[in-house]
Amino acid sequence: MSQEDLGKLYDAILTGDTKTAVAVTQAALAAGTDPQVLVNQRMIPAMNEVGRRFDREEYFLPELLVAARAMKGALNLVRPLLAERGIEPTGRVVIGTVKGDMHDIGKSLVGSMLEGGGFQVTDLGVDVPPERFVAEAKAQGADIIALSALLTTTMTSMKSVLDALVAAGGRDKFKVIIGGAPVTQAYADSIGADGYSASASSAVTLARKLLGVAAAG
Amino acid sequence: MTHRERVLAALSHEVPDRVPVDLGGTLATSINIGAYEKLKRHLGLTTPSEVFSLRSMIARVEDEILERFDIDTRSLPMLANSRPTERLPDGGYRDEWGVVRKQPEPQGHFMDVGNPLDGERTLEDVERHSWPDPEDPGYTRGLAEEAARLRGDTDCATILTLPVGPLHQAQWLRGYEAWMLDLAGDVDLYEAVMDKVTSIWLKISARMIEAAGRNVDVLLYGDDVGYQNGPMVSRSMYERRIRPYQERIFGLLRRSGAKVLYHSCGSVVSLIGDFIELGVDALNPVQVSAAGMDTARLKREFGQKIAFWGGVDTHHILPRGTPQEVREEVRRRLRDLAPGGGYVLCAVHNLQREVPPENIVAMYEEALASDVYGKQKPQRN
Repeated sequence: MSQEDLGKLYDAILTGDTKTAVAVTQAALAAGTDPQVLVNQRMIPAMNEVGRRFDREEYFLPELLVAARAMKGALNLVRPLLAERGIEPTGRVVIGTVKGDMHDIGKSLVGSMLEGGGFQVTDLGVDVPPERFVAEAKAQGADIIALSALLTTTMTSMKSVLDALVAAGGRDKFKVIIGGAPVTQAYADSIGADGYSASASSAVTLARKLLGVAAAG
Repeated sequence: MTHRERVLAALSHEVPDRVPVDLGGTLATSINIGAYEKLKRHLGLTTPSEVFSLRSMIARVEDEILERFDIDTRSLPMLANSRPTERLPDGGYRDEWGVVRKQPEPQGHFMDVGNPLDGERTLEDVERHSWPDPEDPGYTRGLAEEAARLRGDTDCATILTLPVGPLHQAQWLRGYEAWMLDLAGDVDLYEAVMDKVTSIWLKISARMIEAAGRNVDVLLYGDDVGYQNGPMVSRSMYERRIRPYQERIFGLLRRSGAKVLYHSCGSVVSLIGDFIELGVDALNPVQVSAAGMDTARLKREFGQKIAFWGGVDTHHILPRGTPQEVREEVRRRLRDLAPGGGYVLCAVHNLQREVPPENIVAMYEEALASDVYGKQKPQRN
C-alpha cells in the first residue's frame, strides 16, 4: 500500500467520507499494512487536524461529526487487530452525561475525539447515576472519568460523582474531567475535578496532559 | 405611558418612561414551575399553580405576580408547542410530531428520547411519516377570544409565541446528531425534512397569526442557531442551508405588521447582521454567557437597527449569585443596552428551577427602580 493511498484515508476522515475511509482501510489491511501505522500515522493525525480546524472555526459541528463518523468506520476495522496484538490504547476513558441530563451530542463528540486521539472510550450514555460512573470506571480500569452536563440544574450532579468516588475509596485512581455549556474552570476547581475543557478538541489535549502522554502526529 | 406603549416605544428605538420588563410574555421568557412555586411562597401567595407549557414545565404566571412586578407583556395561549397526544407509562409523552419525551427529574425539562425519523432513512420514510395536520382546529382554539380579552382587559403588549421553529422540530424528528450529519453528509435528506417541517410550520403559524389578528403586538419565533462558543454552523452553511428557510419564516412574520421577536440562544453575534436583513425587530435572549455576546459591543454595533430582549444572566448570576450581584447585573445590562430605547429586560431564557426567589425579586425591583432614562422625557405619551 503506497503512501499516496494511505493519504486517502487521512483525506477521507478530514472530509467525512466514510465509504472511502472504510474502503481504503480494508485495502490497506488486506495488503498487510500494520494497523498501528494506520492509527498513528493516519487516523490520529487526521482527527488532530479536524480538531485544529474546529478550533480555528473552519469546521463546525456538522463537519466534526461526519469526520468522526468516517474515523469510527475505519477504526472499527482496525480495533480487533490491535487488541489481538495486545496493543494498549493511549488511555482508557469512561464518559457519560450526568444524572438528570439527557443531552447526548456534546458528550458523544468528546468521546469520538478521544477515540480519534487513540483513547479507548466507554460511553455510558446519558442520565448516568454517580454510582454507575464509579463501578464502570473500576470495571474498565479507566484512567479518566469524563462528565458532561448541559443544564445549570444538572451540573451539580458532577459533584455527586466526585463524592461517590471518594465514598468508594477510589478518588486518587482516576482523573475526573468535566465539560458542557454551563460548566467553567472555576466550577471544576470548586468541586475538585482534575480538569475542564471548553471544546471537544481541547478535551483530547487535556486528557493527554493529565496522563502525561505526547500527541501522535 | 401604558405598558403596551412602553414596549412598542422600546422596540421602535424610542426612549420609554422606564425600561419595559417581561415575565411570562413568551415561552422563552417565563419561569419554571418549581421556581414559580418558590417565588409564590416567598411572596406569600397560596393559590394553586398551573403548568402553562409542559415541555419545559413553564408556569402560568398569575396576575398577582404580573402586577407585583408591573410586567409590561402578556402571553397569548401556547397552542402549538409539542402537545402531548399520548401519555406514556414512564411519565413521558409523545407529541403530535411523533417525538417521545421523558422527564428525568420532577419539575425539570422533558427531553427528547424518541426521534421518529432517527437513524438511516430514505426520502420515502420522510414522505410516509405521520405528519401533524396544520388545519387542526386545536392550533387556534380560543386564540382570537383571548387576544381580544387581553387587549380589552389590560394595557399590556400581547405576544404570540409561534410553534417551536423548523430547525428544532427537524432536530427532534431526526435526533440532533443525525440532523447534523445530514447537514454535512446528506443534503437531500436534510432538505426533505426541513421542507416538510417548514411548510407545516408556516401553515400553522399563518393560521395563528390570522386568528390573533390586530390584537397581537409581538410575534415570537424561536430557533437556535448559536452554541456556547460560536454559531451552530459555518457562515457558508448558514447561508446555504438555514437562511433560505428563515427568509420564508420571517417573510410571513413581517407581513403580519406585528413586531418580530426572534429567539436564538448561544453566540449569534456573527449572524445579527443577517437577522436585521431578514426583518427581525428584537433579539432574544441575548445569551450573555456565550462567546462574543458582550452587551456593550452588541449595542454599539447593532443597537441602531435591532432591539434586545433579555440579557440578565441565567447561567451563573441568577441561579448562583447573591441578590446584590443580581442588582449589579441588572444595572450593567441597563447601562449597556437601555440607552436610546431598544431594550426589554428579562432573564436570559426561562427562570430555571434553582433560581432563588430573592434573586427574581431583586432583578425586577432593580429594573423598576432604575433611573436609566433619568430626567429624559419620553418621546411620546
